[in-house]
Amino acid sequence: MSHWTRKASPAIPRISLLWLLVAQALVILPHLAHLPGWISGLWLVCATWRIQVFRMRTSYPGGLTKAFMLLAAGVGVYASRGSLIGLDAGVALLIATFLLKLVELKTRRDALVLVFLGFFVVLTSYLFDDSLLAGVYSLLPVTALLAALIGLQQSGLSEKPWPTLRLAASLLLQAVPLMLVLFLLFPRLGPLWSVPMPGERGTTGLAESMSPGDIAELSQSSALAFRASFDGPVPPRPELYWRALTFEQFDGRRWSQLPEPPRAEPAWQAEGPALSYSIVMQPSGQPWLFALDTARTELEQTRQMGDFRLQRRRPVEQNLLYSVTSWPQARREPQASPRLGVALQLPADGNPRARRWAAQLGQRHDGNPQALVDDLLGHFAREAYFYTLKPPLAGDDTVDHFLFDSRRGFCAHYAGAMTFVLRAAGIPARVVAGYQGGELNPAGNYVLVHQFDAHAWVEYWLPGRGWVSVDPTFQVAPERIEQGLEQALPAEDAFRAGTALSPIRYRHVAWLNSLRLSWDSLNYAWQRKVLGYQGEAQLELLKGWLGQVNATRVALILVAALALLLGSLALLLLKPWKREHDPLLRLYQRFERLLAHHGLRRERGEGPLAFAERAAAALPAQAREINAFAQRFAWQRYAGTATDAAALRRVLKQLRRKLPQRRWWGAGALVRGTRREV
Amino acid sequence: MPARLFAARWSRWLERRIPPARQVRLDQRRIFILPTPQGLMFGVALLLMLLAAINYQNSLAYGLTFLLLSLGLVTILHTYRNLAGLVLAAGEAPPVFAGEQAGFRLRLQSSGRAHRGIALGWPPAPLQPVEIEADGSSEVELFLPARQRGWLRAPRLRVESRFPLGLLVAWSWVDLDLAALVYPRPQSGELPPAGGGVEDDEEPGMASTRSGVDDFQGLRPYQSGDSRRRLHWKAWSRGQGLLVKDFAELQGHDLWLDFDSLGGDREARLSLLCHWVVQLAGHEQPFGLRLPRVTRAPGSGALQRDLCLRELALFGLPANPAEGRP
Repeated sequence: MSHWTRKASPAIPRISLLWLLVAQALVILPHLAHLPGWISGLWLVCATWRIQVFRMRTSYPGGLTKAFMLLAAGVGVYASRGSLIGLDAGVALLIATFLLKLVELKTRRDALVLVFLGFFVVLTSYLFDDSLLAGVYSLLPVTALLAALIGLQQSGLSEKPWPTLRLAASLLLQAVPLMLVLFLLFPRLGPLWSVPMPGERGTTGLAESMSPGDIAELSQSSALAFRASFDGPVPPRPELYWRALTFEQFDGRRWSQLPEPPRAEPAWQAEGPALSYSIVMQPSGQPWLFALDTARTELEQTRQMGDFRLQRRRPVEQNLLYSVTSWPQARREPQASPRLGVALQLPADGNPRARRWAAQLGQRHDGNPQALVDDLLGHFAREAYFYTLKPPLAGDDTVDHFLFDSRRGFCAHYAGAMTFVLRAAGIPARVVAGYQGGELNPAGNYVLVHQFDAHAWVEYWLPGRGWVSVDPTFQVAPERIEQGLEQALPAEDAFRAGTALSPIRYRHVAWLNSLRLSWDSLNYAWQRKVLGYQGEAQLELLKGWLGQVNATRVALILVAALALLLGSLALLLLKPWKREHDPLLRLYQRFERLLAHHGLRRERGEGPLAFAERAAAALPAQAREINAFAQRFAWQRYAGTATDAAALRRVLKQLRRKLPQRRWWGAGALVRGTRREV
Repeated sequence: MPARLFAARWSRWLERRIPPARQVRLDQRRIFILPTPQGLMFGVALLLMLLAAINYQNSLAYGLTFLLLSLGLVTILHTYRNLAGLVLAAGEAPPVFAGEQAGFRLRLQSSGRAHRGIALGWPPAPLQPVEIEADGSSEVELFLPARQRGWLRAPRLRVESRFPLGLLVAWSWVDLDLAALVYPRPQSGELPPAGGGVEDDEEPGMASTRSGVDDFQGLRPYQSGDSRRRLHWKAWSRGQGLLVKDFAELQGHDLWLDFDSLGGDREARLSLLCHWVVQLAGHEQPFGLRLPRVTRAPGSGALQRDLCLRELALFGLPANPAEGRP
């Protein structure tokens, strides 16, 4: 490298380059889960190239090569993401730029751009994973990026990697209290404009329609669906029916929700005791929320739909915290409405045996729908029906096959068949899909609901009483409701198929299980207290602390708290009480003050020796001490003699002893006067 | 001109706030601090991050943004602290000839902590980096071009530091009363025919100094500035190169360098005198210097040289560096 280029663009110190490489690896690591595979290859190429440039084995890529690489990265992103817009493609492009910038890293300015890009890439990683672990992990790349930034400064540190890192870490640590204050008090605004959300993340969960096998498939996933904490005691497990959505349309094979779910809020009256609880949902990619019947929530942009489910305007793409109040004994739509016709819909033909049986039941309990329902449930309980995840394959008439031939099925089979029969018998009914039960975590006193808790049940309508929920699965496998799926299907390995690596598989190992539950409770607290710290939650917390909340008040407190923290940190850092003055200078100042008492002041720009000469002339009796002090001071100060403050102090003491104790001011004036004549 | 007015006002204010002193300890009265362009870029990056946090309603994104913002605030203290407590002391500044670079020695002393990434100098010239270890000290030599003879008063010195993150710059303008004596630019040329021995007619005892050229000592190689009349043409014609007849002057036959005997304008004469002072002193030849109103008795050696050069440098100019201050 010629002298000329070095001067024009300050080169990047070795330490900074080292930390940049480390930081880059740390920054992209959490992204690898959702990035196309070739990105890691790109990183390897770029890093190797840059290291070879540093070792002077190769040169920087030319303009054409760079343009080609950029184009290739763009094509690569398009090929693997199908688009160049949207969050996933955007982040992939951002990271590709972040990596490619490495090979054209020449000047400090380039490095600075790389560091700032790095911070931004760390931020985007939160959009894909904002768990406690991800948050803690991200401190590593941030520290490394800071170390790179420090390494860019021309200083004695720029050759030492560890002190650089230590300084970065200590700076971060000192920033933490300020960060907490800002985090708590900075007002949370709603989104300023709509932004693309992370797309397909392979989320499992309930879908908009259900064929009998779907829920069985879901039951193999041990992924978390949501967590719920109750204000009071947690209700017993058989009462935990978490509604997600209803299926009101049957095409002979699949149950699905209406193409346009009824938006009108249904009529219902709260009755009996209310339950208050809050839920933190994992991203589901669907707009509906989970709640016990019959629910009301204050969450914005969320409403109760015609089938009593809670639905948000936008799908749940990130963890969502909301609080709900439910009245389990509420009366729901006691008056008939034209909407009920939908709940009687059946395909024109198919399943003839089921229809015939429904007609018989209808005749037997003419005018008493409740008796018919009881009879039907009794039938499931009495007859040899089996609860299994692996029912035999059905032919065209799925309901007939299940009810009369195989008699083996999962909750979806029972709920679907019962709804079919009820409708055929003229009773409005529908399938409710959601989750049932959940695992109580004693560590945090909340309920964990996993995907394998997915369930389907039935609700039917009685004139004057409204909608009534009923669970046919309970008749066949009560242990499913009372204890959970695992207990209901002890023999079937199918349940564990999807959970080979999941800690949930080892629930029976007591210490492991309690560890898992404690960890989960920590994560839950993280989600509720930290991730859920948005608009509402913030307002509530601040109200609890400050009484009333208004903008000026919060702004004042924010500024005051920041000033207080910065002030304390300044005291801690600068230690003004230590008065770190140079001991030599301090002694010299004392010497000056001493002579000033005798009317001798050092002129501006007068050297210590010259001053001493003048002072000695004015105070001949003390000339020896004055000169001794000035000589020693000058030696130590300017001639580089080792500093020995003690010796200097001794001489000063001798001088003070020799000087008359207190001279009256007139004498000082006299001395000054004589000097002026000189 | 408002800019110039502002500059004048600024320098007056600085003069009051940081009065000149041979030694200055940087403290809160003397240190200024502002974001660097990189700091502003950092601010823009933070703003973008905040927008992302708001739009994605992501607590971690808020957290990272606030962490970096807090870091920026904490860095104010660190950048300030890195400069605070630094003691700057003026060292010596050896005299130079006009046209050379005047060097100013400075001693930077820590009063406790280490000071990293300090840079000092006179903008727009690039600043010189220096590091001071904890309880240690460093010496720096800074250079200014010496254009004119007389006292070269160094302007206010900029001391700055961007450590640790380069987002902020803390700086001070200190006046360490730095001054270097600048001798006239030596200009070779001949002395008047009298060979520099233009004697003072009013001093009869010196009448024989005119014959100072008589004591032929030998031949020596020609140097620029030697009188052409002393060239040894015979030697040259024999192909021995240019040689000059060298004369030793006797005690009492002193050589006088006289301002009035020279032609040309004042600066040219001073330059010529300067050249001869250096030449003669280099050959250990005694000489005297006569300037209007100033006369330096003949002598030889470094002291004589320095005193004479000083007279030449300050001829017609204030003798005190402080008075030469703009």
